[in-house]
Amino acid sequence: MTFVDFLNLLISALLLAGTYAAMAIGMTVIYGVMKIVNLAHAGFLMLGAYFVYELHERAGLHPLLGVLLAFPAFYVVGVLVHWALGRGVPVSDKPTLASLLLMFGLWLVLQNIGYLVWGTDDRAILTPMTFATIRFGEITIPKIGLVVFASAVISLAALEFVLHRTWFGRSIRALIQNRYSCRIVGIPVERTARRTFGLGIAFAGAAGGLLALLYPFSPDFGRPFLLRSFVIIVLGGLESFSGVFVGSLILALVETFSIFIVPSSYQPAISFSLLVVALIVLPGGVAGFAARMRSRRAE
Amino acid sequence: MAALLSVEGLTKRFSGLAALDQVSFEIREGEIVGLIGPNGAGKTTLFSIIAGSQPPTSGKILFEGRDFTRVKPFRAVHAGIARTHQIPQPFLSMTVRENVEVGLRFGRDPGGARNLVKEVTEILELVGIASLENMAAVTLSVGDLKRLELARTLATRPRLLLCDEVCAGLTECEMQSILGLLRRIQALGTTIIYVEHNLRAILSTCHHVIVLNFGKKLAEGPPETMQNDPAVIEAYIGKKA
Amino acid sequence: MSAAERSPGLAARPLAVLPPLILLGLLAALPLLNLGANSVKVLFLTFVSIAASVGWNILGGFAGQVSFGFAVFYGLGAYTTAVGINEGLNPYLTYPLAGAVAALASLLVGLPTFRLRGPYFAIATIGVSEATRVVMTNLEFTGGASGYRITEHVPFRQLEHYFTGLMLAALAVGLSIIVRRSRFGLGLRAIRDDQDAAADSGVNPYALKLGAHAIAAALTAAAGGVYARYAAFIDPEGVFGFPRGVGILLMPVIGGVNTIWGPVIGGGVYGVIEEELVARFPQLHLLLYGVLVMLIILFEPGGVVGLLQRTRRFVLRRREASWQPS
Repeated sequence: MTFVDFLNLLISALLLAGTYAAMAIGMTVIYGVMKIVNLAHAGFLMLGAYFVYELHERAGLHPLLGVLLAFPAFYVVGVLVHWALGRGVPVSDKPTLASLLLMFGLWLVLQNIGYLVWGTDDRAILTPMTFATIRFGEITIPKIGLVVFASAVISLAALEFVLHRTWFGRSIRALIQNRYSCRIVGIPVERTARRTFGLGIAFAGAAGGLLALLYPFSPDFGRPFLLRSFVIIVLGGLESFSGVFVGSLILALVETFSIFIVPSSYQPAISFSLLVVALIVLPGGVAGFAARMRSRRAE
Repeated sequence: MAALLSVEGLTKRFSGLAALDQVSFEIREGEIVGLIGPNGAGKTTLFSIIAGSQPPTSGKILFEGRDFTRVKPFRAVHAGIARTHQIPQPFLSMTVRENVEVGLRFGRDPGGARNLVKEVTEILELVGIASLENMAAVTLSVGDLKRLELARTLATRPRLLLCDEVCAGLTECEMQSILGLLRRIQALGTTIIYVEHNLRAILSTCHHVIVLNFGKKLAEGPPETMQNDPAVIEAYIGKKA
Repeated sequence: MSAAERSPGLAARPLAVLPPLILLGLLAALPLLNLGANSVKVLFLTFVSIAASVGWNILGGFAGQVSFGFAVFYGLGAYTTAVGINEGLNPYLTYPLAGAVAALASLLVGLPTFRLRGPYFAIATIGVSEATRVVMTNLEFTGGASGYRITEHVPFRQLEHYFTGLMLAALAVGLSIIVRRSRFGLGLRAIRDDQDAAADSGVNPYALKLGAHAIAAALTAAAGGVYARYAAFIDPEGVFGFPRGVGILLMPVIGGVNTIWGPVIGGGVYGVIEEELVARFPQLHLLLYGVLVMLIILFEPGGVVGLLQRTRRFVLRRREASWQPS
């Protein structure tokens, strides 16, 4: 591997990491506040892809505009779903069997809707950007990768702003820490949870749209990305936002560079192997690891 | 007499903040020891560490002379350390009887030919909820849940019982009956460490009192002495002007 | 009077084993009726499903640890039996072998994931399922994605398969009853209710979960093995695919998790749904199952068994009310 090859790979890994972060953050938000592992995440990623696709095909809308529209559209969907599931969404602080299965059922339904509407064929969103590249000397960057990365970063920055500068964001962060105390200090727990669910689904939809710019998709599109999202949030420590970035970076780097070691037919097994390694080596994720290191240094 | 439990220099930090700071004490077999201190003094944290639910940052715990510092909770139970929780944690899908059975069959003395039915009944009678034996745990009142919590714990046949505020939220009358119960348990040969806010409850029940404040051991001694110790009074009421 | 008879803990205990035994006898005698080959096949497949469903329930129901990845054990069992038979082993020896292989595999999954709390285990099972399927799709000595054929030099006797399936299902139910009534089963229930409280009562959650996982895996693998011998041809997509794992999870959920008979009923109901609805509306099967799961979780988490119990209570109450109007 030459140095240029290495740089090219490194850059594509970084670009991928940005998209991964946007993909996984929705799941983290929902897990953090509601302790629900949102298995339907995969379904919403898939719907997001088709949402952007349809707007592009039928209305001729620019895919990035489609991604932007996906935020409000899927926010509404998320709030409606949360409302419809009502009492099925748990109130406890522990992840429950019921919520896991409920979300799983929702995923099956969404997937079937995908098959009914769009069939089993692979689709792709093709724009003039799709195959364009930008060259810096010997380094080539796919233009689409750069655009998707930029969109992901902007949306994450917006989320960061919401979380730290608005009352809604502060309530979310407080809820992640302690639901009980939130009730005491007067945070409207139910309403915040509903909006958080909407927020998480909004990010899932938009991230699905972004991923659709990079990969072809079918109604089963979400499953491999669901697993990747899991790996990322487990690496990140489940509830930590900064952990998501680190987790995305690790996954993207491992996936990108493992092509030298692992035959490509085994690629789908990589994210799982990483998951197991993470579980054994870093229980509590990178965030937990960092905390342990800090407390050790404090000794 | 050798100590049943000795705690040496126990420290627990949560991201730098010390919940326990160099706490040392010894518990002799057969005593009821009161553990008092204002909110946030570290009483529950201390219990968690002794029972193995949390690891200490540093320090040592010896139970019957053996090192029990980072022992798993169920191993602590097998050795004879059992705790009750401030908020009872019953097995909600089980009946009262089944709740107690878990402790008997997995506790310090799990095996052997024995009469489970009779043993469960004895424990339920001791804590006074024998009439509820076939009720689902979900349906119990707060007071009965506290008794069930005690029964569940006693079922593991502890040598050292860690009681965390068994009287909080109970009426005076219920409290008196629970205190009587603790004395009876102690008379049956179990050593008890008893966390309590209510000073009167401590004074009437304990042989020895340990006072914690902000994670440090402030004082220890017989209850009458503690009652008049200026440091203790200051911690509880504030400095005299 | 009838209310008193039905209340638990009365003399009915020794008689409780009778209905299952009668059912078993009826099923064993059923082939005497000269059923068509297709009916026998449907029944055989139902027995296999029930064995896997009952297996899953020991972990997912009794211990409350949801796994989406039981296809791994089903597939491992199928391949172990297939390779074993082709290597000349007696088929009936390959089933326990399949169980042992799967029990070992279950440790590999459980050792890292059961140590942690929270949803790690459930999450990891999806990953395990995917990874195993990928590996099996690429494994050359079993033919990779194109599948693996079993060649037996004995004539195909459908009834032999029928009885093997029936025995396996009966074994699974028997094991499930034993586990449920044992000290081990009590510990699993405690873990399901509250893992911390269980540990505070002296239960070793880690060891018990590993044990339940191993038993469940072994039963599921035996089911996979029995199925493989019947099918005589298996491929990774069929036995290791994610839908297989989903199916194994759906059966106990439909019938009623954490009960003895729920997974059995669920296995039967699932078979009927597959035959009647999915075969008729194949393009809707995910939707059907998805909606079913959501309805069950939202309205009757006890599944079919829960529904029956609720109906019975309702009827009893009506009857009591009509006796003593107040």
